[in-house]
Amino acid sequence: MKKTARIAAVGVIAALALTACGDREDDKKGDDTKSSSAPTDVSSSPTDALDQYPDFKACMVSDSGGFDDKSFNQTSHDGLTNAVADYGVQSAEVESNDPSQFADNIQSMVDEGCNSITTVGFLLADDTIASATENPDIDYSIVDFAYFDDKGNNTAPANLKGLTFNTGQPSFLAGYLAAAKTQSGVVGTFGGLNIPTVTIFMDGFAQGVDYYNEENGTDVAVLGWDREKKDGSFTEDFESTTKGQNVAEELISQGADIIFPVAGPAGLGGLQAAKDNGAWGIWVDTDGCVSASEYCDILLTSVMKGMDVAVEQGIADAAAGTFSNEPYSGTLENGGVDLAPFGPNADIDDDLSATIDDLKQQIIDGTIEVGAP
Amino acid sequence: MRLEIKGLTKRFGSFTANDQIDLVIEPGEIHCLLGENGAGKSTLMNMLYGLLTPTEGEILLDGAPTDFQGPGDALAAGIGMVHQHFMLVPVFTVAENVMLGHEKTRGAGILNREAARKQVRELSERYQLHVDPDALIEDIPVGVQQRVEIIKALAGNAKILILDEPTAVLTPQEIDELMGIMRELKAQGTSIIFITHKLREVKAVGDKITVIRRGKVVGTAPPTASEAELAEMMVGRSVELAVSKENKIGGDAVLRASNITVVDPRGHLVVKDVSFEVRGGEVLGIAGVQGNGQTELIKSLLGLVKPDAGKIELEGKDISRHGPRQSLAEGIGYVPEDRSHDGYVGSFSVRENLVLDLYRTKEFSAGPALKLDAITANAKHRIEEFDIRTETPETPVASLSGGNQQKVVIAREFSRPLKVLIASQPTRGVDVGSIEFIHKRIIRERDQGTAVLIVSTELDEIYALSDRIAVMYDGRIVATVSPDTPREQLGLLMAGATPEVSA
Amino acid sequence: MAMSPTPEAIVPDTEPAAKRDVSSWLPTVRDTLLAIALALTVGAFLVIVSDEQVIDAFKDLIAYPGSFLIYAGDIVKYSAEAVWDAYSALVRGAVGSGPALQRTLERSAPLICAGLGVAIAFRAGLFNIGAQGQALVGALAAGYVGFTYDLPAGIHLVAAIAAGLAAGAFWGGLVGWLKATSGAHEVITTIMLNNVARFVVLYFLAKEAFQKHNSDNLITPPPMDSATFPTVGGLHLGIPLAVVAAGAVWWILDRSKLGFELRAVGANPDASRTAGMSTTKVYIMVMAIAGLLSGLAACMTVLGLHQSVTDQVVGSVGFDAITVALLGRATPLGTVLAGLLFGALSAGGLGMQASAGVPPELIQVIQALIVLFVAAPALVRNFGRIKRRRTKKSSVETEGAVA
Repeated sequence: MKKTARIAAVGVIAALALTACGDREDDKKGDDTKSSSAPTDVSSSPTDALDQYPDFKACMVSDSGGFDDKSFNQTSHDGLTNAVADYGVQSAEVESNDPSQFADNIQSMVDEGCNSITTVGFLLADDTIASATENPDIDYSIVDFAYFDDKGNNTAPANLKGLTFNTGQPSFLAGYLAAAKTQSGVVGTFGGLNIPTVTIFMDGFAQGVDYYNEENGTDVAVLGWDREKKDGSFTEDFESTTKGQNVAEELISQGADIIFPVAGPAGLGGLQAAKDNGAWGIWVDTDGCVSASEYCDILLTSVMKGMDVAVEQGIADAAAGTFSNEPYSGTLENGGVDLAPFGPNADIDDDLSATIDDLKQQIIDGTIEVGAP
Repeated sequence: MRLEIKGLTKRFGSFTANDQIDLVIEPGEIHCLLGENGAGKSTLMNMLYGLLTPTEGEILLDGAPTDFQGPGDALAAGIGMVHQHFMLVPVFTVAENVMLGHEKTRGAGILNREAARKQVRELSERYQLHVDPDALIEDIPVGVQQRVEIIKALAGNAKILILDEPTAVLTPQEIDELMGIMRELKAQGTSIIFITHKLREVKAVGDKITVIRRGKVVGTAPPTASEAELAEMMVGRSVELAVSKENKIGGDAVLRASNITVVDPRGHLVVKDVSFEVRGGEVLGIAGVQGNGQTELIKSLLGLVKPDAGKIELEGKDISRHGPRQSLAEGIGYVPEDRSHDGYVGSFSVRENLVLDLYRTKEFSAGPALKLDAITANAKHRIEEFDIRTETPETPVASLSGGNQQKVVIAREFSRPLKVLIASQPTRGVDVGSIEFIHKRIIRERDQGTAVLIVSTELDEIYALSDRIAVMYDGRIVATVSPDTPREQLGLLMAGATPEVSA
Repeated sequence: MAMSPTPEAIVPDTEPAAKRDVSSWLPTVRDTLLAIALALTVGAFLVIVSDEQVIDAFKDLIAYPGSFLIYAGDIVKYSAEAVWDAYSALVRGAVGSGPALQRTLERSAPLICAGLGVAIAFRAGLFNIGAQGQALVGALAAGYVGFTYDLPAGIHLVAAIAAGLAAGAFWGGLVGWLKATSGAHEVITTIMLNNVARFVVLYFLAKEAFQKHNSDNLITPPPMDSATFPTVGGLHLGIPLAVVAAGAVWWILDRSKLGFELRAVGANPDASRTAGMSTTKVYIMVMAIAGLLSGLAACMTVLGLHQSVTDQVVGSVGFDAITVALLGRATPLGTVLAGLLFGALSAGGLGMQASAGVPPELIQVIQALIVLFVAAPALVRNFGRIKRRRTKKSSVETEGAVA
């Protein structure tokens, strides 16, 4: 990632997929040097993807957002789709309408003879562990949750893996970038709900801004998140773009010229507000230039959360028999989270780009600790 | 124009509303169509006016068969209709209402109001209708509004005019005026079909009388026929038209209202300082044209409306602050003026309506539960006692005839010991046979010592029942007179003449 | 009342006559069955046009019109297969096995309870759009008692249920009180209170006392075992409670003074007032009962299925309840049957999704269509009558010819 070109970043992700999953055609364009950072070593190195595990059935249960939520359900579902394409596994899936259906839906996947079941979202945590305990022969993964006790010990059974993402790390970089790019000296963020999977982005972002201020003696302000109070601006809703737009416009009216919405589809309203008011946006979860390309013009970058990669990896491990209950944590180091390539109009100079890369390395090294206030 | 109806039949499903009706209306005649509510008069007229399509039979105009697809066709053929409920736009002037629907324009869509004004003036003069083309409908009295309806029909060149129960909303004076207009129209060649169930009017103005019962023509009669004869044809049996009763001087005052004042929700003062008393064993009749405060007055007596000033006493006890529940429990019987609105629940069965305000008594309930057996037994008993014509006690009241609906209300209110009976329009829309029955029951209640208060806009009813008559006009009781006061004088009082002037 | 569609306009009041006369029920039953059949037919069409094999065959048909018969045959065959796969999976998923049946009942129970709440309000002339909010606060209250207090089994369950019912009843009663005292229209207030309920729940979920140990997520712990419905043969005992609730609603409507009053007020508030009934009391009571039933629906979910409380814990039960009550013609028996149907569709929908790969939206489309066809009975009846009318017309023509 020495260059800021998009292709390189795609390469990183692709390379990760390559090592983990094997032989995808487009992977070959990637940059192999990063493959060592892949989280798990898959011992087998398959060559013929399409019928590698034809008897293996990988399944998935959404939370009430459904697989077309343009957010974490959808990204996770991409992991399942990729697994089908890459390994020739069979698949089945169920969307949930409401929480009372979670247990049923997981059970229906058990009944369908699934070998691995991925559940999406912390809301399914109880039902997933219950089903995993009952069905030790099936490997379970759960997105955005990990089972720890008070002392931080993993309490998941041997067939259940939590998939979490330290999105604070790339958000830190995004915050630093935003602080460097702001003209008004004010940047803004808002979330969908005040829950950890959302606020971790906002907190990392704010920390990145703070770090920039320390380093450069500036006084860039963050609106929409208070690191001490752990509270800020929320749409209370992941669906309503109108609410997202309203919150963003409020932030812009208070001087913010860069908006970092962490609210799923509702965040698109934030980008719209930024576009309408000549402000910049930073997208989350996926590369906004791909998933929300109509806003690519005003994007500085995106904070990517590689749920698809992690999900596919979990399926691959289960199929290969190398599944473990060790919680996966996506980090900058293992590439499970990352900063997307800069937007086409972002106009990031080489110095800043180099600083970002340097900061990323410092985070990987542990020199900078993201998350502690 | 000569109108001939041959074998006209209208069926709704298995129900035959009109059965082989034959009728001839000669040019320039006033033809009265007499029949009880639900006899099929309105169905017949709606077919004539193109609102309904006959199942069988034909309508001939000057010998030529017609095929009306709607009122437009009927109007074009020269048939006009004045409905019981007027179809006027209140905020428009008379001329504007008359031109409505066939506006004349001076090209480019500009309304030619002057033409309409001129037409109204001409028609008004020709038939002596005395209507100002520039008056707003909402400003003119009901009787004049009705004349506007007649002008509307005449403006459409109607040769045959259908008047559907035209006198229901009029004061006695206005009724006389209307009859004058009808004679004038007739004199100038317009035929009139006059629908009514009031025998006096038929005799006063009709040339020919056709009586309809249960969808069939049961006979014709000349206007010289006696009221008793006509009533018998209408009902199918001999009817006692005047309830035989002796006028009485009541005993002690049971219900006393002092200085009642009611302001309606729109802020209008509708009852102004009204005081009266009703004595045990007498009927006090409140006469008056509709809309002079009677409605609000009796609502305040029951507690449905809280009087803004004044005091209501029942046997000396102040009940001004009581709600309907307490008032009913104290022994007030209440027959509301609009039964379908306030008197019964249409979708409820006869059985349920017969206990609508009694279900909570010990007789019909125990704790939170209803005593269904007692309610059913009560229904059987009352249906028989009050001769309520219903298929079963489970039949919804809405599907009964008006008279039987009213009997349900009356039966319910009379089925418990009463101190006071308040009955407003007790026989409105009720057939002659039922009127007789209801009047007899009211007199019987009086004879048992109940204080009875009757509110009616029908002078016949007031005379038939009252021992004393109070006249209400513009929210006040303008006079209290004895029942031997002449009709004309009472009519003047109802129209707002002060007693001194009329005396 | 005149301002909004009144419930009686939608729910035909067939009750009094229907009680005595079974035949008067038949048109309603026939219309409902016809509506269900029509909805399934439209659903089948959707399955066909979204089936890839059918689409491919159709493309081939366009591309090679010469082989018309072959491809047309394929289309018919694949269509039949697709529909058979989908609907057999639907039936299997709903009633095909013990667990399937259990699932159907589990999903029906809250729908029945909340549906009864909507139905009883309908009968009093109130359009209760607020079952959602009532259920949500009920869920929070029941859940809170369930996971916070350590009480002996039995007592704990009763306390949790009581809390859920009380919270729901309070939330519903609020609507009745607002309507009775200020005339605020219940459609407006219930919709608004749905929103308020969600934010109230979110507010509490953000409090430490409502969160799982060691977690900042907006989710409570599940209720303790002592506060959950005991299970007999795989079925939790909340389900019979739904049937009891239906019986109780029937009793209230049909046998009690309150029911008499509420039906009277629903059908003609003016006459009811004139007859000395208190509309204030009726509005408050009936909305409290409606809320209580919605709270019971929440108990079915939280205490019956061991659910942690979140702002989505009751799903869309409050809105589905409206359609259930509508389909059930606002009668207790009808609501139970409609609740069972929707529960079966929901459980069967899972089967279709899991084994036939049919998107879950199809079930929602079918449910919506059933309600649409039920709400437009004239439309449905016309489907049935087209044939008859044609024959009638031709006979008239023959008559004319003879004349």
